[in-house]
Amino acid sequence: MKKDQLQMERRNFLKASAAFGGASLLGTLPFRAFAQAANLAPADRCFVFLYFSGGWDVLLSLDPRDPNVFTPDRVSETRILPGYSLLSNDSSFPTQVVTPTERAGAGPSNIKFGPAIGRLADHYDQMCVIRGINMTTVAHEVGFRYFLTGKEPNGSAARGSSTATEIVGQMKPTNPVPSIAYGIESYNDRYPGSANALRVSRANDLILTLSPSPTQLDSEIEKQLVNLRGQSVTCEADAYNTRGLVGQYRDAQNQMATVLGNSLNKSFTYADVATDPPALNAERAAVRAAYGLTNPINYDSAAGRAAMVGTALKKGISQCVSMNLVGGLDTHFGTQLTHATNQRAGWNAIADLVSDLRGSAHPKGGNFMDHTTIMVFSEFSRTPLINGTGGRDHHISSSALLMGAGIKHNMVFGKAGDINMAPGLVNRSTGLPDPKGMSILPEDIIATVLASAKLDYAITRTEPLKAILT
Amino acid sequence: MRMFLLTAVFALSACTQKATEVPPRDGTLKPVDMSNHPPIIPLPDPELQGGHVGRAPRRITVAQLKASIQTTTGRQWSQIDSLAASLGKADFALVNAESTEPNLVFAKFLEDGAREVCTAAAAADLTTPLAENRVLSPEVPATITDFSKIDAPTAKKNLVYLSTRMWGQPLSGAELETWSASFLTMAARAQVANKKKEAWGAICIAMMTDPRFITY
Repeated sequence: MKKDQLQMERRNFLKASAAFGGASLLGTLPFRAFAQAANLAPADRCFVFLYFSGGWDVLLSLDPRDPNVFTPDRVSETRILPGYSLLSNDSSFPTQVVTPTERAGAGPSNIKFGPAIGRLADHYDQMCVIRGINMTTVAHEVGFRYFLTGKEPNGSAARGSSTATEIVGQMKPTNPVPSIAYGIESYNDRYPGSANALRVSRANDLILTLSPSPTQLDSEIEKQLVNLRGQSVTCEADAYNTRGLVGQYRDAQNQMATVLGNSLNKSFTYADVATDPPALNAERAAVRAAYGLTNPINYDSAAGRAAMVGTALKKGISQCVSMNLVGGLDTHFGTQLTHATNQRAGWNAIADLVSDLRGSAHPKGGNFMDHTTIMVFSEFSRTPLINGTGGRDHHISSSALLMGAGIKHNMVFGKAGDINMAPGLVNRSTGLPDPKGMSILPEDIIATVLASAKLDYAITRTEPLKAILT
Repeated sequence: MRMFLLTAVFALSACTQKATEVPPRDGTLKPVDMSNHPPIIPLPDPELQGGHVGRAPRRITVAQLKASIQTTTGRQWSQIDSLAASLGKADFALVNAESTEPNLVFAKFLEDGAREVCTAAAAADLTTPLAENRVLSPEVPATITDFSKIDAPTAKKNLVYLSTRMWGQPLSGAELETWSASFLTMAARAQVANKKKEAWGAICIAMMTDPRFITY
């Protein structure tokens, strides 16, 4: 595999060199020709990590309870109050547990959802919901860092590498920006810097990275500059490359040429630009339609961010995208409707992303969802009871959602208790409650994600949930 | 010849005498007594070490890059602090080790920085009357305002100066010829396009984005 990759890289390099040579001889079209000579192909296996920040209410989405069973009258017994009736001010929210409509050819859903799941319920046939996860914390930083790395933090300080870093470090993809961390932390404690995520806090940061330099020279002088870089270096300079450092830098420069030559920054601009080719504007219109984006486009909304995930994967820019998809969930005060509205925005954005990936053919066969694993998580959930100020506080038990490649679909694994939604003990082979079973911890989920791509999960010091793996 | 023989005899006699017998004169160095030196272990055979000995070459850190840009051009890249994390600087909160990988993001932002700093330095040089006060073209006589009229020896002299300034090693041989030819082509184009600052500015960009600028 590595040998094949090396051969491919060498072939690309030779193609690029030929483009350089041709440019030198003809004195025309060097930079773009060079850029296009190199391939920009989607990764065979992609990963998406989507974070709902603030602590989500799983009753509203991944772990619902029937309000006809868990009634206010039984609260002292169950310690659970779904509160779906409190959403009745907005008729777009159902006030009962949601059973997805059967998808053609997929069979009926084995998963039920809360009222805020939105359009994502339509993709039940791609999902595995894991319930009753014991987060062992109700502190925000500890919870999400635990889920990011699969290692319980020291105090609030993260340990280990982010799962995306782990994946990129092991798989060594050839994508120009292997990992993007958008509005989320990223850690690397043992891999080379090439496994680091490109950390951006706004859409504009990403576009800046992919955009041509703001200082452009005369086109003929640019050509000379490219030609100068293509020259062989002296023996003395070559000595710096004895361990590949210069070669790595040259590769990075070539990648940069590829990225800039393909005008990838334009791929992340979803508004029409009159001076751009009609085909590109048509592509933008398709993205806007797929993600429900309207002018002026809010790139930093959940829908805008989901569109960027889809673009990064489909254009072959990245293998892993980690993203803080939606916030506004830490609702200790206020109404259930606020939380439900914010949460649904995230689920609908994921639904659009999944629809986009399912509808896009992957070069290696099948569609992009066949090559993509999506993990959706939050740092913990919210209390099953409503507090005195109309909100919900932090609760130790949570749920997570896995979708796509390497994961069994249309299934639920684990269960939170019917009293106070306590994190239960489950049989790891079946996912069913078992007093002699074990807690489901974040590292179990991370190990499962790594194992879904046949990666080394030893760093999690646990076994994956094999019942979930295909 | 007589003088040479006398010197040689004197040197030979000095080597054979004990150091304690001849007190050193002012301004002379006392030879180190090597008689009791432990055996010197030769460096490993490079052929057995993958073609290299000693430590591996490294990419400069963000702090070193910042200092290098300031030292070589006399000005600072305006974005270096805001992009420091992307260039690899550790914040010791989320990232506790400086990344010195010469990756895509580093290459991209260094390119941006080199263009900003070099074109600014080249533009400033054009308004600096004294050649010796110029940053990028101190070897070019101030009377030459049309860089396309620089002769090859002058261009090479300035390229040697710039490469020494940027990399700590002068351009020479065939590589110097190549750079000189490229400069003359760029200078001619810069004159025609009325973008004089891009003549030496482009050379500065090429040198600042060259591996020799970012490695040590």
